[in-house]
Amino acid sequence: MNRDDLLRKISEYSFAAWELHVYLDTHPSDIAAMMRMKNYRKKAEEYKSEYEKKYGPLTVKGGSGETWLNDPWPWERRAN
Amino acid sequence: MFQYEKKLQYPVNIKNPNPKYASIIISQYGGPDGELGASLRYLSQRFSMPYPELKGLLTDIGVEELGHLEMIGAIVYQLTRNLSKEDIRKAGFDAYFVDHTTGVYPTAASGFPYTAASMQSKGDVIADLHEDLAAEQKARVTYDNILNLVDDPDVREPIKFLREREIVHYQRFGEALRRTTDRLDSKNFYAFNPSFIPKK
Repeated sequence: MNRDDLLRKISEYSFAAWELHVYLDTHPSDIAAMMRMKNYRKKAEEYKSEYEKKYGPLTVKGGSGETWLNDPWPWERRAN
Repeated sequence: MFQYEKKLQYPVNIKNPNPKYASIIISQYGGPDGELGASLRYLSQRFSMPYPELKGLLTDIGVEELGHLEMIGAIVYQLTRNLSKEDIRKAGFDAYFVDHTTGVYPTAASGFPYTAASMQSKGDVIADLHEDLAAEQKARVTYDNILNLVDDPDVREPIKFLREREIVHYQRFGEALRRTTDRLDSKNFYAFNPSFIPKK
C-alpha cells in the first residue's frame, strides 16, 4: 500500500475506534461496543506500524531526529 | 500529559488558495465558538468534575478539540498559500494580513483576538455541562454559517466533518447530563445541588 492509502486506512480505523471510545465514556457497560472498539483499534495499530516502517514515525515513540523532522507535516497539502 | 500524533484527524488537501475563505474560517481557530475555546473549556472544567465518566469525557473531548484546532489551522494555512498582492487586496484579507501576514493567529473573523471571556469553568457540574451543550450547538451553527458561504468541496468536506463532530459531542454531553441528574435527589425537580460546600 502506498502512503496515501495507508494513511487513509489509519484514519478510518483510528476514527472508528475513537468514536466508540468516546461513546464508551457514557456507555461503559456496552460490551458489544467495547469489542468493536478493540477490533478497530487493533486494525489501526497494524496499519500504523506498517506506515511507520515505511514512512517514518507517527509519534515520538517511533523515532527522533531526522526521521521525526522529515516533511511533510500534517498541515501541509502533500501530507493528506 | 499529552503526546502528539503526526497526522490530522481528517485530511485537509485544498488545491485552490482563497484568502476570503481563510478570513471567515479563522473564527473557528480563535473566535467565541472556536476550537481553541472548546478545548480550553473542557480541559479546564474536568478538574472539578465529580464522576469518573465526566472526567473521562471532558478529557477525551477536550483532546479531540485540539485535533480540530489543528485541522482549522491547516485549512487557513492552505487557503493562504502563494497569494499575490492583488489576491490580498481583493479578497478583503488585507485587514488580517497587515497584523499577521499569513501567520495563523487565534482571532474571531470579526477581528477580536481570542479571549477566555467567551468561555466558563464554573466548578459546578450542572452549570458546566449546560455550558458545554450550548457550546457544541454554537460551534455547529458557526460551521453551518461557513458552509453557507463556502463552495469549494476541498474546504467543505473537512468543515462538514467538524460540524458532524459538534453534533456527536452534543449527544455525549446530553448523556453525561442525564447520568448526572439521575444521581441527584429525586425530589430535587430543578436539578441543582451546590457543588461547593465550604468546609466547616
